Amino acid sequence: MVPNSTMVNSTVVLRAYKDGLHLIIKPHLSIAEVEVAIQQEISRMNRSLAGATVQIDLKSPTLNDEEIDYLRSKLRENYDLIVRGVDLGDDSASPPIAAAPTTHTISQRADVPSTREGEPSRVVPYTIRSGQIEEFPQGSLIIYGDVNSGGEVRAGGDIVVLGTLRGSARAGTNGRLSAVIIAMDFAPLQLQIGNCVNRSTANQESRGYPEIARIGEENVIIIEKFVKF
Amino acid sequence: MGKVIVVTSGKGGVGKTTSAANLGTALALLGKSVVLVDADVGLRNLDIVMGLESRVVYTSMDVIEKECELNKALVRDRRVNGLMLLAASQKNNKDDMQPEHMKAICDNLRTTYDFILVDSPAGIERGFRNASAGADEAIVVTTPDVSAIRDADRIIGLLQNAEIEPINLVINRFSPQLVGNGSMMDQADVLDILNIDLIGVVPEDSGVITSTNRGIPLVYEDGSPGAQAYMRIARRLTGQRIPIPDLEQKGLFSSLLNWFTKNR
Repeated sequence: MVPNSTMVNSTVVLRAYKDGLHLIIKPHLSIAEVEVAIQQEISRMNRSLAGATVQIDLKSPTLNDEEIDYLRSKLRENYDLIVRGVDLGDDSASPPIAAAPTTHTISQRADVPSTREGEPSRVVPYTIRSGQIEEFPQGSLIIYGDVNSGGEVRAGGDIVVLGTLRGSARAGTNGRLSAVIIAMDFAPLQLQIGNCVNRSTANQESRGYPEIARIGEENVIIIEKFVKF
Repeated sequence: MGKVIVVTSGKGGVGKTTSAANLGTALALLGKSVVLVDADVGLRNLDIVMGLESRVVYTSMDVIEKECELNKALVRDRRVNGLMLLAASQKNNKDDMQPEHMKAICDNLRTTYDFILVDSPAGIERGFRNASAGADEAIVVTTPDVSAIRDADRIIGLLQNAEIEPINLVINRFSPQLVGNGSMMDQADVLDILNIDLIGVVPEDSGVITSTNRGIPLVYEDGSPGAQAYMRIARRLTGQRIPIPDLEQKGLFSSLLNWFTKNR
């Protein structure tokens, strides 16, 4: 299992990919079930999605055109979401929601910010303790403190911890796969960049020097000594 | 005006009640007037640790339900002057009490006593919220193991959100031997994670078990290292500046080894 928060409700999943938001709907669901699941999934987001565009990915064509039109108008009315396309999921290109044991990647999609230029950032002047979550989907997070075991930081862009990273860090949630995670002391429980989740090389002891995690060859998260950008 | 201090930890079994009983007794032995408030409604223990279980007639729940006056519900300690206990009701549960009730009790006691120590139940739910409702300060008790520390970290976050300040740390059940052979976290590791002020380190002391069973707090046993540690913490609570002794008696060899491994 990918220990990703978006796996909580697996019938309908909202995910950010390189080309924007995707609403992934599992097959064999009635339109009523889909509606309820969408409501749940969107209510879990603590930020407004108003005005965003979304692509609907169906794993197989189980909803008919009428039902899709109905969904389109519902998304518009209830959440101010604009449907920019519907992928009927003819098996040739099934959307990636399956989980791999340790490192899980998705196929990269086009036109997502590839650099951090113009991305806003937020400074957090305190330590993130167990049970606390610090989130900044719009850009990068800079933590003046530690991220303790049981705590979590999530950023659309990069994450920089000017202390010890002992908890979980999820960078690049806006889909930018060049996002990095930097910590002065690197001992995380779990790392995620874009949709690459890493547990095996994480959980390491602090080495006593700053380290950086980024996506390397074959979409595997690599951690190395941080020298400079 | 007295100080209300909540004694809490997040995790159970790390020594909240033992610490509250010993610190309360120690403060009374130093001449302060003290009330120990058991906030563990439904699972009360503090009366047993204090050896006062047979004297409890009224509980904080009776005060809340206006069955009796607050002063009447306070049980006088039989060994030291100026120490009182406000027991928790054993037949109610934590939802029967509201944070405002506890705050009212604490505000009332504060006008008469120097220290009000509130013994919090484990957990972060209602019981903790009740216990911390009237608190000015907090003492977080932890043992040097990862699960207790993670829970302590969570509690510290909640206390900070509630703007309870200062938050002081007691490291309990500390074993210099285990630290020496590398199987227990040392003080520096714990403080590095929790990043709050350390007010004392209580060494592992088997005397705690006998003292609990006999209902006589450890601080009466002058020679015990645990008793001395609690006395020192009590003195620090009264504002005295007493250094925290280094319990980690490292030999030259292990210090050198440590130095080499840390600088590798």
